[in-house]
Amino acid sequence: MLYMQLHSMAPRWKWKAGSLSSCNVLLAVEPEQAELLDRCCFGRLVLSAEKDKKWIQLSFEEAFYLLYNLKCIKIYLQGRCLENEVDTWMYMKSQRPNFPIFFKAYSPLRSKNWVLRSGLQYGVDFVAYRHHPSLVHSEYSVLVQSGDSNRLRVWSDVHCAVRLSGSVAKTLLTVHVSGNSEKEDLNLPLCLENYRVEEQTICRWSPELNREDETTNPKPNATTVSDLKPV
Amino acid sequence: MEEKDWEASSSSEEEAGFALDDDEQFHSGPKLQFRVGSSKARWVTELAMAEVEVKRGKLWTTTGVIRSGKTYCFIEEALYLSEIGELQMLGSEDDEVMIPLKSLYEKIAEEKSGCCWESYEVYRYLKGLGYIIRRHGVPWTSKDAAITTPSGECFKDKDDVTRLLEDMQLCDARAVFDVYLPTSRFKKSSPGEPSFVACFSGDSPPSKEDVKVLQSRVATSLMFCHVAQGRVSFFSFNSIDLPVLP
Repeated sequence: MLYMQLHSMAPRWKWKAGSLSSCNVLLAVEPEQAELLDRCCFGRLVLSAEKDKKWIQLSFEEAFYLLYNLKCIKIYLQGRCLENEVDTWMYMKSQRPNFPIFFKAYSPLRSKNWVLRSGLQYGVDFVAYRHHPSLVHSEYSVLVQSGDSNRLRVWSDVHCAVRLSGSVAKTLLTVHVSGNSEKEDLNLPLCLENYRVEEQTICRWSPELNREDETTNPKPNATTVSDLKPV
Repeated sequence: MEEKDWEASSSSEEEAGFALDDDEQFHSGPKLQFRVGSSKARWVTELAMAEVEVKRGKLWTTTGVIRSGKTYCFIEEALYLSEIGELQMLGSEDDEVMIPLKSLYEKIAEEKSGCCWESYEVYRYLKGLGYIIRRHGVPWTSKDAAITTPSGECFKDKDDVTRLLEDMQLCDARAVFDVYLPTSRFKKSSPGEPSFVACFSGDSPPSKEDVKVLQSRVATSLMFCHVAQGRVSFFSFNSIDLPVLP
């Protein structure tokens, strides 16, 4: 949807230029474009006194997605346009070593139209929204896992992450990015070609809460666990 | 407690007239207090099970397995019932000498009877809440018992050898108990599918691969148990596919 909208605005959109810094990409857009980006939940508006121009701050993941997947921005570094996406990728990777793996988790979920924002305030990598964040609370708190990651390696980590998620009414979701290790080529375009993500929810179950007595409902078949509410 | 009422109360003829004082038994001190006329079972070392000789109470509708018309129970079942004063365990040699609780705890600690301490904690916790539990994959009744079991129909079970071979597939996680929701209508002859299978993954949470391997072997939902300092927690690790949103 965003892709089509942005491209329908293409002549006016004019390949918006984003300037790359060590931790984000700043994009200058016209007010109506700022609105569009906001509607599609990309970036954060930087408040400024300027009236005819709006500044949007994009995370690396958001910026790269707009660059690589939606092809609607161009990236500039210190005034010079990075024509080759690989250069942007390499720069972002140099600033944030976990950028490649985070992007590999961000991209497929974003392609399914889930909105992903920073999950730092909830102790996770991302939070995932079904709709615009102003309309709903996020449903999932997302942790990115790769083959050799050491997230959630001990039980106390699991208890902690689940409890934290639950206390803010979210379900913990881990996104496993397959086929990724230090030694593998983390460079474009190879690493974005053949990889898989697998989503997994981790929920805590409380046996005290879900013991319906089945005398009133005489089914010999069991209630499936998915019917049982997580704590 | 609700679940103790339906479990302990019974309509069996031997029961009439006995005053139940479950709470006292539950909180009994080091001395064992048994309900007068509690069940009796004899430990059979070769089987690592106890053969039930005297049954008291309705609890046997949800505990123990039936083989050739006789009821047997595993160490966790025997220990639990002993702890709550519902069972007196007898030794293999002497007729009426009771095996003390201490020996039953030792059997669990030795881990030679198919149940370790963590498994027992899970068993005890869920059983105390009224859930119906059996060891994973062990049929409630066996085929041989078709003629003699009072319950009627046979429970079809998977070939033991096949199951053993499957279990040898490399996987740190293992399925331990089949758990059914509490119900007073439970029948060993047609138990239906369990609500979930309680699993252990060892010291660490299960890896994604282990969850997959285990789920491929088990038709029902998996619940991973974590036991620490006497506290039991249950976590589900479910693969989902986030839907494509409009």
